[in-house]
Amino acid sequence: MPLSILLPLVACGIIGIAVILHLLGLSRAARLGDAGVAEAAWLREFPDAPPSRVILSQDHHAALIETKSGPGVVWAMGADTTARYLGGARIRRTAKGLRIDLPDFTAPHIRLRLDPDEAAQWPTHMKDSA
Amino acid sequence: MSDIITFPDVVNWAVPFFIAAILAELLWIVIKRRGGRYETRDALTSLLMGAGNVASGIVLGFVAYGFFMALWAITPLDLGTSAWVIALCFVLDDLRYYWVHRFGHRIRWVWASHVNHHSSQHYNLTTALRQTWTGTFTFMMVMRAPLILLGFHPGMVVFVGGLNLIYQFWIHTEAITRLPRWFEAVMNTPSHHRVHHGRNPRYLDCNYAGVFIIWDKLFGTFVPELDSEKVDYGLVHNLGTFNPLRVAFHEWVSIFHDATQPGLTWRERLAYCVMPPGWSHDGSKGTSFDIKARYISDHPESAGSPGLTLSAKRK
Repeated sequence: MPLSILLPLVACGIIGIAVILHLLGLSRAARLGDAGVAEAAWLREFPDAPPSRVILSQDHHAALIETKSGPGVVWAMGADTTARYLGGARIRRTAKGLRIDLPDFTAPHIRLRLDPDEAAQWPTHMKDSA
Repeated sequence: MSDIITFPDVVNWAVPFFIAAILAELLWIVIKRRGGRYETRDALTSLLMGAGNVASGIVLGFVAYGFFMALWAITPLDLGTSAWVIALCFVLDDLRYYWVHRFGHRIRWVWASHVNHHSSQHYNLTTALRQTWTGTFTFMMVMRAPLILLGFHPGMVVFVGGLNLIYQFWIHTEAITRLPRWFEAVMNTPSHHRVHHGRNPRYLDCNYAGVFIIWDKLFGTFVPELDSEKVDYGLVHNLGTFNPLRVAFHEWVSIFHDATQPGLTWRERLAYCVMPPGWSHDGSKGTSFDIKARYISDHPESAGSPGLTLSAKRK
């Protein structure tokens, strides 16, 4: 197929599908219904590290996890979740919550939407449980 | 020897079909409220990976094709281009695909290229297009050398490889549950390939087939989809980014970090490149064998069931 046809076809296809998905409401982030769901999401990534404490964010899109091996966070990755330990993390307040920078090529920046009280408290929890 | 033979670039010609099929699957899921899941950023990443794969083929395709033409120049054999020869080439190329795919899961250097195809937590037709940008650097083009040296024209070998990829597109769906028993017995199907994309310990490293599932049955790597255990899609450690550049290169970066850490022997550095994913010099990480063994230890009643047999664990 000539590039003059292939390139517009691919570009229009990608943009069109993305727009349709968004308009269908399929951009919603995963919601962690309760602490049990957050714990299950953590164990899905780290089955050998059961949480000793789970702190769910007010918007239910993230949770702070405490384990014997150190603190971690579960957060929404699109309609799903993933999790990371917070070893080596740099944590900064932002207008909408916290930004966590990790020395991890596969999860370099985690942006958490937290209310002001949470944004103030979570870094303390992260340090206390480290 | 017949050098002036052209075969259609079937993968590029299939792009309109890919787009139409994705829209049809999406429509089906939205109307029926079952048969799979879509999410915007996940699908966008998959589609961009597919576009990048096409682009890398345009930019780097000459490397593999130059290699194939060099082999074609030295082989004294020419099987011609009859329909039977093309059909035979298709079957043998599928056997080639099985082994390349198996190496892609068992040799970290090759996994670094293939891992991105498994990096989605979704399983829909866009996942099929989440393809590598770095396949050339795995040097797996050597696996096609025997076909060309046997007298199959390089254009034909690339052509049937394209057909193989197109076949595999439609099996990336949850909209189709099971197909007739005879078909499931011989062909790779959505059910068989769902298992291949599973991160459940039971489903790790199995069902490498492209078109014919018989290769997995022949070489002992077949695991059926169990109604009792839903497939959990994605990687053992799922990515925390949708950035296509990070998706494409993350395992290469990881290999570099592991192999260049101080205090290792050269043997250990090499092992980080070629041993199965999850291997580590100090045992601090886990391969699929370790994950299965740990699962069996935690769930002794599962020992001997599909995907968790002693012999299957090493494959």
